[in-house]
Amino acid sequence: MKKKPLGLLLAIMLALSAFLAACSGDSASENDNNNENEAPEGEEGEATSGGTLTYGFETAPEGIFNPNFYGIATDAEILTLTDESLITYDENLQPEPGIASWETEDNKVFTFTFEQGVMWQDGVELTVEDWVFAIETLSDPDYDGSRYTNVETIEGAPAYRAGEADSISGLNVIDEYTIEITFDEARVNNLVNLWSYPLSRAQFEDIPVAEMSASPQVRQNPIGLGPFKVESIVPGESMQLVKFEDYWRGEPNLDSIVVQVLDSSTVVGALGQGDIDMISLAPVNGEEVEALDNVEVITYPGLSYYYIGFKLGTFNAETNEITEDKEKYADVNLRRAMAHAINRQEWIDAFFFGYGTPVDGPVPSNHWIAADSSELTAYEYDPEKARELLAEAGYEDTNDDGFVEDPNGEEFVVKFSHYQTTNPTFETRAQAIVQYWQEVGIQAEVEMTEVNLYYDMVEKDDPAIETFFGGWSTGSDPDPTGLWGSDKIWNYPRYKNEESDKLLADALNLEIVGDDEQARADIYAEWQKLISEDVPMIFISELEEIVAHSDRVQNVTYDVSGPNSPHEWSVTD
Amino acid sequence: MLKYTIRRLIGMIPMLLLISIVVFLLAKAMPGDSLSGEIDPNNTNPQYIAEMREKLGYNDPLPVQYFNWISSFVQGDFGKSTRYKMPVSDLILERLPNTVFLGVTSLVITYILAFAMGIFAGRKPYTIGDHLIGGINYLGLAIPSFIAGVFAIYIFSFNLGWTPYAGSVDIRIPQGTFDYWMSRLHHVIMPAIVLGALATASYTQFLRNDIIENSRKDFVRTARAKGTSTSKIYNVHILRNSIIPLITFLGFDIATIISGAIITETIFTYPGIGQLFLTSVTSNDYPTMMAITLLLSLLTLVGNLIADILYGVVDPRIRLD
Repeated sequence: MKKKPLGLLLAIMLALSAFLAACSGDSASENDNNNENEAPEGEEGEATSGGTLTYGFETAPEGIFNPNFYGIATDAEILTLTDESLITYDENLQPEPGIASWETEDNKVFTFTFEQGVMWQDGVELTVEDWVFAIETLSDPDYDGSRYTNVETIEGAPAYRAGEADSISGLNVIDEYTIEITFDEARVNNLVNLWSYPLSRAQFEDIPVAEMSASPQVRQNPIGLGPFKVESIVPGESMQLVKFEDYWRGEPNLDSIVVQVLDSSTVVGALGQGDIDMISLAPVNGEEVEALDNVEVITYPGLSYYYIGFKLGTFNAETNEITEDKEKYADVNLRRAMAHAINRQEWIDAFFFGYGTPVDGPVPSNHWIAADSSELTAYEYDPEKARELLAEAGYEDTNDDGFVEDPNGEEFVVKFSHYQTTNPTFETRAQAIVQYWQEVGIQAEVEMTEVNLYYDMVEKDDPAIETFFGGWSTGSDPDPTGLWGSDKIWNYPRYKNEESDKLLADALNLEIVGDDEQARADIYAEWQKLISEDVPMIFISELEEIVAHSDRVQNVTYDVSGPNSPHEWSVTD
Repeated sequence: MLKYTIRRLIGMIPMLLLISIVVFLLAKAMPGDSLSGEIDPNNTNPQYIAEMREKLGYNDPLPVQYFNWISSFVQGDFGKSTRYKMPVSDLILERLPNTVFLGVTSLVITYILAFAMGIFAGRKPYTIGDHLIGGINYLGLAIPSFIAGVFAIYIFSFNLGWTPYAGSVDIRIPQGTFDYWMSRLHHVIMPAIVLGALATASYTQFLRNDIIENSRKDFVRTARAKGTSTSKIYNVHILRNSIIPLITFLGFDIATIISGAIITETIFTYPGIGQLFLTSVTSNDYPTMMAITLLLSLLTLVGNLIADILYGVVDPRIRLD
């Protein structure tokens, strides 16, 4: 009797070692057998309508399923299924009418007209009152989200927030479907900046603003305008969404969508097994997933880019002013030399597995304001040129240690900071950058800093930060002032250039650009040219978005603004 | 014993206060704060961040912040999670059932394996079977849980298709039905085995060593001389004595059941306290992090107290007063 557990254990041990040995082999054939057991219910049906799509996420949602309150990208992605913006964006990131269409003559006063008969998922009809309610909520002093910035330019919003007014004077409801919104001044980007998600008055009316984000209307039973309605939620792991038959653009094709959270280490296996129909991939998984027979990898242009910044000055938080008072990298030829030293393509292939392309300016190339690459100064990989530029700037090796000294003959060591997370490739990729510099004779060293501390140090201009790695992503509003204006805290290189400030201001100035998009794009192109000449940052790479689709998925298409409307998605069997 | 218990309980108060200070200071010593991740020029502005810092009291002097936190904590108000924007107590309660379920299942697995292996090895020390069990146990102790987890998923979920690899339940099954509970069990079994099997080593070896030691004692020789059957000697006389040292572990187990397994829960996307703790650390969610840490400290202290009291109950030779 007593021997039995041991025998069993031995058997398990043997089985274990047999499968471990199989690990390196191709497991696709074994996986296929298991599909039947795992197949979701309710899949049978015609090819074009019905069926369930399983949508995978590597990060668990926080559970704030309302666009007015959410904080993280996962919640935002789920909200694209359950809710909808009044205004949408086309493939050129230009606003286009959705539920609301608009008219304006002076870019100050806008008249919005809503589609009639658009229903909330609780069966109540959407009216402009719901939008007013959203804007008032966002302007409330008790509001705990970060979206006030999208309504503060409406006339009277600051007064409402300060408690000086009972309503926002810039909101003028004409009838149930028409509203006139007045901004505090005319701007070219008033429309794209404006908060365009209504908030259901019927659902939230009785809840104090401070408690809204924690309320069941946000957490457990969210009510949206989108094609899918939340049926059930298991916090932190999965959600079931069912189609909303009265969706205003038409009845969705899919019966339901299951949102499943999974750990990044299981993504490839889950896709191979057919458990997940759709998921965004990290570049590191791309190659492995492309090898799967039943999965298609789709890439589409993204709006984010990575850079190496130079600290050129400091930011005074009290006066909101930048002074370019750091001397070490003040010489533009030094910065250019350091840019020429880096083999960006090689680096991207190694660390982003080819899912990126070198970028030459501060705007991802698919944005409509992006300058043509011929207009920008490109810093191609050219070690010879880098050495020449160094010599020109007076950086020469005077003590024969193989590395250059600065023009005063002092030892010159570049410090390169990179953030550290649990991702083991970060240190390697930072090391690679430093090696490029060393190859052209610049002594350099890497400093890895824990990610939270890192941005704190970058923001506070800590003396330990000299050159730093970072990334930004741009939204549909092309205005880069928040990142480049000389009075902005997120201008991390502390780059101050009056010409740059002027160009950025001109591009927003109605008297100069009017409503001519091309004129605006031209000014931005000129600005990008200036930045690329000045190299306050070495622009490294723009990333592609990578999505994996199982072979069941149909009618999902992507452009730079994201996927098409989910009500068009469908699956086959 | 009542006196002893009361004395221990009172002794816990200064200890918990000290722990709370350490937890608070360590939390505050972490770089950044809960808002440092929010640098997104598309969605927010620096002014909002500054206002939120003020609102959350991050600009107050540390002693003031500590006092505010601890005074509401004592009154049962654990604060509001800065990440999930809901009361920490609700958040913990939401995750607690999952974690307790996982913890209890893994403990059951640990006990079954440890008793089976420990008794076998103790009865036949220095045989091949004993060495094999020792080997397996130390191997289990040496394998980090994230490796074991990933391999378990690869083998049992992807190659064999026996178990799910994510979540605590299949969301398509209506709640409360028999299938629902079977699905929960199906989801918990894999992480519980990973968690339970790796923890058996210390139990097994303790039990084994104690059985060997006891089997050489006089009372065993006496029993043998009386003609008591070997299996009765082992199963009754020795085992009862050998369980006593295991009670020490029980004290820690109570905290373990709640604390869950940070790594295992994360790999299996099993939403419990461990996973919550990890996200609260990475996102500088102070209220959640401090509440969980303090809760676990309390449970460890209580667990030890229970263990000490149990000693007295199981073994009258250990006197408590």
